[in-house]
Amino acid sequence: MSYKVDEIDNKRVVHLNGEIDMEVSDKARNTILPLIEAGHEVQINLSKVDYMDSSGISVLIESKKLSEQKKTKFELIEVSKPVEKVLAMARKFL
Amino acid sequence: MSETAQSNHTEKKDFLVRSSSLKDVRTFCREVFEKLQIEQNLKDELVLAIAEAAQNIVKHAYKDDPQTDDKMVVQISCKDNKLQIGFYDMGTPVDPNKVKHREIDNVKPGGLGTFFIQEIMDAVEFKDGKKPWINHLVLTKQL
Repeated sequence: MSYKVDEIDNKRVVHLNGEIDMEVSDKARNTILPLIEAGHEVQINLSKVDYMDSSGISVLIESKKLSEQKKTKFELIEVSKPVEKVLAMARKFL
Repeated sequence: MSETAQSNHTEKKDFLVRSSSLKDVRTFCREVFEKLQIEQNLKDELVLAIAEAAQNIVKHAYKDDPQTDDKMVVQISCKDNKLQIGFYDMGTPVDPNKVKHREIDNVKPGGLGTFFIQEIMDAVEFKDGKKPWINHLVLTKQL
């Protein structure tokens, strides 16, 4: 997994790239959570993520929860088809 | 070895019990499902279920031994349009009664992963591992 972060005023757009599994989920977590913790509005661009498992979904859930605590905006944008499928399955669980 | 899902086909491969092996597990599965001519949508779901089961071995059966040199085996068999995936490991014995979803407010990879496996597969069964194996998990899906 690779990533880049665009800074637009108080907004941070995190572009994730590749496969997100248990091996790299901590890297994603350690990239996203500090941005939310710092009070930024965060968007996660998932257009180039071609695989995501429960570890990756958990990072997104943690991020959403933290943003609610911090009262900041958090959203997923340009969700790829493989990720949308896994998110749809996860929504049944939630 | 056959080339289609309609005939009999078995392949197995061992992997180091490490999170870094999960990508290799997925690659192995994709290659086998390609040979079985399983359509893309189902293939993606099956790969996810298998990867989640392998992840559970790394996360739970080897929770106390993350630097192990032990291997786990993934075996994919297709017979009469029934897909059977076996997982063998030598980690901490799994208590099948404790393998379940977590509560909604406590979503962690294990709970969600187990949910994915159960959503995708027709059956999930823990069998007694025959030596040298401790755990033997079998996932099945009618094609």
